[in-house]
Amino acid sequence: MRGSRLVVCLVASVSALVIAGCSSGGGTEDLNGMTRQPRTEVGNVSLPNENPKSRNSEGALKGSGDGLMLVYFGFTNCPDVCPTTLADLRLALEDLDPEQRGRLEVGMVTVDPERDTGEVLNGYLSFFFPEDQFSSLRTTDEAELARVEKVFGASHRIGKKQKDGSYDVDHSALLYAVDSDGVVEVEWPFGTTAADMRSDIEQLLDQRAGRSGS
Amino acid sequence: MNLKKPALILSAIACCGALLAACGSDDSSSDPVAVNDVWTRVTAPTATMGAVYMNLESADGDRLVSVSVPADVAGRAEIHETVGGSESEGDMDPGTTMEGGIAVEPAEDDDAGGDGMEGMDGATGEDSSMPDAMMGMRELEDGLELPGGEEVSLEPGGYHIMLLELKQPIAEGDTIPVTLEFENAGEVKVEAEARSTES
Repeated sequence: MRGSRLVVCLVASVSALVIAGCSSGGGTEDLNGMTRQPRTEVGNVSLPNENPKSRNSEGALKGSGDGLMLVYFGFTNCPDVCPTTLADLRLALEDLDPEQRGRLEVGMVTVDPERDTGEVLNGYLSFFFPEDQFSSLRTTDEAELARVEKVFGASHRIGKKQKDGSYDVDHSALLYAVDSDGVVEVEWPFGTTAADMRSDIEQLLDQRAGRSGS
Repeated sequence: MNLKKPALILSAIACCGALLAACGSDDSSSDPVAVNDVWTRVTAPTATMGAVYMNLESADGDRLVSVSVPADVAGRAEIHETVGGSESEGDMDPGTTMEGGIAVEPAEDDDAGGDGMEGMDGATGEDSSMPDAMMGMRELEDGLELPGGEEVSLEPGGYHIMLLELKQPIAEGDTIPVTLEFENAGEVKVEAEARSTES
């Protein structure tokens, strides 16, 4: 099933790109993901980044220069939703050409800072992405986390603790692409294929090529 | 030469054979459940939970009531469903734009169906009063129903077997023995192949 959907999406993406080429500049209708009108602007929100190998020492939740930051809110004990999204994102990134891939960073914000220490986050994310290409964003300050979530429209809810100490966490599962101006250019809901993400990323990076950013 | 004796012996053998065949066809009390494409996702080294997926079909209808894996794989296994999210099936219409909370779908989009986004608000973000719909998991304590003749898929974002208290990471190439317990078909043992992606 996935294969034929992939083909349909690729054909749609190529058609969209062709149309975009003819028009004055790519609009939101060329992207597979969703865009908000007006776009979400995240400003200068930041969170502590627990990955010492990341270039994003300020813990910004936006891209730098002509690149994009791909932001995800999740937790490492998530068995189904998070690994699926991150695996799809990994596939999308691997299929990009190296020049484009080099302009991207993945930022995961943990919604479960109690279990997701910096070490756990780094170990988890390095399973999916090169160690200098992700930010492990974590705060134990609930108000600070809530503020950052609100800006994106994300949310989470910690479940009831079971007898063995385990608990589940419900959370919104969108993946956001944020440019260096802090604008959320596109967001992909859970289930977006790697091909759709890659196609959108390529379009957005093409549009931003050569910018020095703010 | 006396032909009667060999004929009697042959008949006796034939009768026994028929009886045995009859016994053989009786060893399952009802139709078995077809279990296909059993796989488990490769886990990150720090993960304490895993997921197993598969396709199930029962001709006459059945219910998956419990699942178990060896103790050296995980502490316990449960049947779960992932629920929520802004799109119930994970398929969304390409290029959907949100304007003031209502999804505006592009005219050239061929994909039918799909509700508009719930709770989306077109504000700049500081005023996002309604958060994006959350996703979570619910244990199916009564098990998973398999309507007769219908394929039920356990797949990412939907039904799945959750493995809790993983004893070690699941690596590519591993196979995990999984025992499925069905209300009618009884116990079925399968092997889940570890993969990093769905296909």
